[in-house]
Amino acid sequence: MMSDQQIIELCSRHDRKAQQVLYDKYSRLLLGVCLRYATDKAEAEDILQDSFLKIFFSIKDFKGSGSFIGWIRKVAVNTAITHYHKNLKYRYHIEIEEYESIETGVTSFEEDFYTSDELYKVLNELPTGYRMVFNLYAVEGYKHKEIAEMMGIDINTSKSQYSRAKAVIRDKLEKLGKLKSSYSDLI
Amino acid sequence: MKTKKQNINLRELFSQKLEYAEVMPDASIKSNLMRRVARKEFMRFNPARLNIYYIGGILIAGITTAVLLFSASKATGRLNPSGPNDNLFKTDTNSYIEIQVKQPVRKEPGKSKPIRNESMRNISVFIPPAKVNPEVSKVKDSPKGSISFPPGINNPLSKNGLFVESIADKKKLQSGFKSVAFLIDPHVSVGCAPLKLRFHNKSTSYDSCRWTFGDGGYSNEKDPEWIFDVEGDYKVVLQVFNRNGESLSSTAVVTVHPRPQAHFEITPEKAVLPNDEIHFLNYSTNAVKFKWDFGDGITSDFYEPSHTYTKFSNYDVRLMVISDWGCSDSLVVLNAFSGSEYFIDFPNAFIPNAQGPTGGYYSLKSDEAAQVFHPSYSGVTDYHLKIFSKLGITIFESTDINLGWDGYNKGQLCEPGVYIWKVRGKYRNGEPFIKMGDVTLLKN
Repeated sequence: MMSDQQIIELCSRHDRKAQQVLYDKYSRLLLGVCLRYATDKAEAEDILQDSFLKIFFSIKDFKGSGSFIGWIRKVAVNTAITHYHKNLKYRYHIEIEEYESIETGVTSFEEDFYTSDELYKVLNELPTGYRMVFNLYAVEGYKHKEIAEMMGIDINTSKSQYSRAKAVIRDKLEKLGKLKSSYSDLI
Repeated sequence: MKTKKQNINLRELFSQKLEYAEVMPDASIKSNLMRRVARKEFMRFNPARLNIYYIGGILIAGITTAVLLFSASKATGRLNPSGPNDNLFKTDTNSYIEIQVKQPVRKEPGKSKPIRNESMRNISVFIPPAKVNPEVSKVKDSPKGSISFPPGINNPLSKNGLFVESIADKKKLQSGFKSVAFLIDPHVSVGCAPLKLRFHNKSTSYDSCRWTFGDGGYSNEKDPEWIFDVEGDYKVVLQVFNRNGESLSSTAVVTVHPRPQAHFEITPEKAVLPNDEIHFLNYSTNAVKFKWDFGDGITSDFYEPSHTYTKFSNYDVRLMVISDWGCSDSLVVLNAFSGSEYFIDFPNAFIPNAQGPTGGYYSLKSDEAAQVFHPSYSGVTDYHLKIFSKLGITIFESTDINLGWDGYNKGQLCEPGVYIWKVRGKYRNGEPFIKMGDVTLLKN
């Protein structure tokens, strides 16, 4: 098994074998990232391919400072944003009814109540703009200012989209929770 | 089931569950990706590997070589003259004529020893071009049996003695030239572009001839016809060759003057005859003299004349322009005033002056506030306007087109509302018109 250091070294010399090793090692993790930003798995896999192309051809830019995983995650997230911008004009602008962004209803969740598949599904069903901002803020941990720069949107748009996304997700999770508990009651 | 009860908020839920979540990609993704990598790798310049840049380079190099080889073979083909008609003869702008006399190898060895040694000979002759033209034309009939040149050419030749070796021995030239001359009458050698000229080769006892016209064109006909499209001075050269490959030449200068261009516009665009004064805008180029014909029998020599017609009709306007050198061009606009329109139109609302009657006389400038009900019109001679109230009572009448309705009836401002108008009359061309409609009187 090659170490990350060796893989990076070989990949920067465009070694085909090392590229495959790199893919085998990190494709599942990166697809996990990409899937959060996509509407379905097919789109996530598109983003994944583009991300790996970027990683292979600009691995020289990875300075070795910071973690390699962090770097490839960042590449994947940026690719997802590029993808979002590219597809923006092809998507129907889905304007969902205004959600009151008041923190009502359930505010805390049991960690193991929902499976990650269910959470992915909730994210996939979100309007794309909401999904981008929610992921960047809640999961990736970017600040609203950074998100605004990355997405090319206003900082207030980022904030309001995040709070609306939260409201939608909460709504969906609640419905899902009810469904699940009724299901488990039956058992 | 609910043993592990660890409550967290939404953000924590997602980041904890999904930040390092792994999803298995489809197996086809990897092969697809590696194919794309290979393609991109191929497009990347890599000195270690054969890729598109090398293939492109090889292609370009191949094409360049092919083109070079092709042009090289063409060039060598030109270097081998196939006969006496080829370019043995060159002229340049300084009126130097370079004559290459190719001496044939003779069968009688004793008589032409000096010639045999030099089979090619370059002879340069200076010919003042101004003199050539008129003098050339004078030589019409040369005495047969002797070598005769146009004087302009002959003198410098004999002075310099350049032809001595090749043609001084008359006996050798029994099959040689008797006379070289071509004629261009002086009065036709100057003209306006495009200039069409016919050249006559009056030379005798020659086997082939070649005309070069100074504009890149040439002809091997005896009496060619040539059209000079572009202005300029052209040096026309006639070369004649005999069977032995000897050549002689004569030149003349043809001057082609630019042709002027007649162009004009008529304003106003939709003139109304006979009222309007018509202005003719002159856009002609290269011209110094102008002759206008307005089509009604009146002419003018002005650059930009104005004209007023006395009656309505269809006129053809002509302009002929003449340049400094007497070149001319003309332009005719047939039926120049057919675009003229006769019309009468009324507005559908107006706002009378509330302070009192204005009298109804208006001009287009004074009635910007639309205080008077009046038509916009063109070419109207007879005019009769009537305005009725809703009850059918005539409240205004006018036979003067310059007098509109100010909205008052017997000094009283009429009620706001809809009124009916009716107009009848004649246009200037005799065509009658009747129109009616309604107009809304608005309150100021």
